Amino acid sequence: MDELEQKLLEVKDTSELMVDLAYSSLLYNNRDIAQEVMELEEYTDELTTSIQQEAIKRAMADGDVSRAFVTIKLTESLEGICDAASGIAEVVMRNIEPHPVIKMSIRESEVIIATATVAEGSDLTDKALGESRLASQSGMWVVAIKRDRRYIYGPDEGTTVLAGDTLIVRGPRDGEDFFKDLASGHAKLA
Amino acid sequence: MESHLGPEEGKEKVPRTVREILTEMKDTSEVIVDLAYAALVFDSQDMAEEVQHIERRMDTLLYNIRIKAMLSARTKRDAEQLAGLLQVASSAEAISNAAGDIVNLLRYDSDKRPFLPIVLKEAEEKIKSLNLADGSDMVNRTIEDLGVESETGMRIIALKRGKRWIYDPETNNKLKAGDILIVRGTENGFEVLRAFATGERRWPQYPVREGA
Repeated sequence: MDELEQKLLEVKDTSELMVDLAYSSLLYNNRDIAQEVMELEEYTDELTTSIQQEAIKRAMADGDVSRAFVTIKLTESLEGICDAASGIAEVVMRNIEPHPVIKMSIRESEVIIATATVAEGSDLTDKALGESRLASQSGMWVVAIKRDRRYIYGPDEGTTVLAGDTLIVRGPRDGEDFFKDLASGHAKLA
Repeated sequence: MESHLGPEEGKEKVPRTVREILTEMKDTSEVIVDLAYAALVFDSQDMAEEVQHIERRMDTLLYNIRIKAMLSARTKRDAEQLAGLLQVASSAEAISNAAGDIVNLLRYDSDKRPFLPIVLKEAEEKIKSLNLADGSDMVNRTIEDLGVESETGMRIIALKRGKRWIYDPETNNKLKAGDILIVRGTENGFEVLRAFATGERRWPQYPVREGA
């Protein structure tokens, strides 16, 4: 992948993280997370602009207008997703307790959001996410980690989980119990 | 009481309550983006049409939730909270619009977008396909009953049986040998699922869970 493709991928991955974070911020009425969504929106805006400029430059150099056009169209769609995510986060920033039905809907979805604090004796402790393979073991994908007062948003497979971390995850309903048991140390990794 | 249907009234029923509509819209906003990317990766017009179809349903849902929300406001506080709820619903609909725009890219010759599948295959959560073999013990069971996602981390977003596509295939569909599964998740999860799908590994047995 070249630089433009790397940036495109970054916007795509970030747009998904933003949607997950936005729904999480609503579920927990959490302004810190909502704020992060707003900041990520600015970040993806900048990336989008630079992708679009680069695509046009290339088209001027090689005359391949269609390719630039497809790239620009795709970034617009991705930006649409990012905007929608910040629209969701905005509801939290407004300082009005979100309607109780919103929480129920998020909890009733096929894809749910859950949270658990990692205990000292948990199999997740002191392991990178790629090492414990939490996602493939439980179906739960870590969206954010709260460590003391700080958040790590969109951790990757190299992020090490520490005892006391609170994980915010997204995944299938039937993965929730195992995830919570893993975090508390009541269940062990296979 | 029969629900009021929107201008795009279809055969499919619109759920009755604000809560049910919002839940469906939230679920849809997630699955539709996966389907849109899958349509690009596999250059599939069928999947693109499904995305357009779902997108039209989202329009109907948005129209209906607006009406229901307005009818349920009694106080200023209700109205403020419902305004936020409708903003969430609109955002879910905006996401599905974006998915509709993404599949519109299929109109352009594939040599103009060769980089798209490459980019999408490098994403953190990848979209891939695999074949369900005769010897796999996933055969004759439903995805829900197996708990595929909680077992492997892979979400099955669609499956192809013969010439037919089945979307959002979680329930009521027993998997059959020869099914092509379109899945989303990590590389590692894909390897785990592939071992089950080829029959290389047996699907684990658990004691019956409470409520299962």
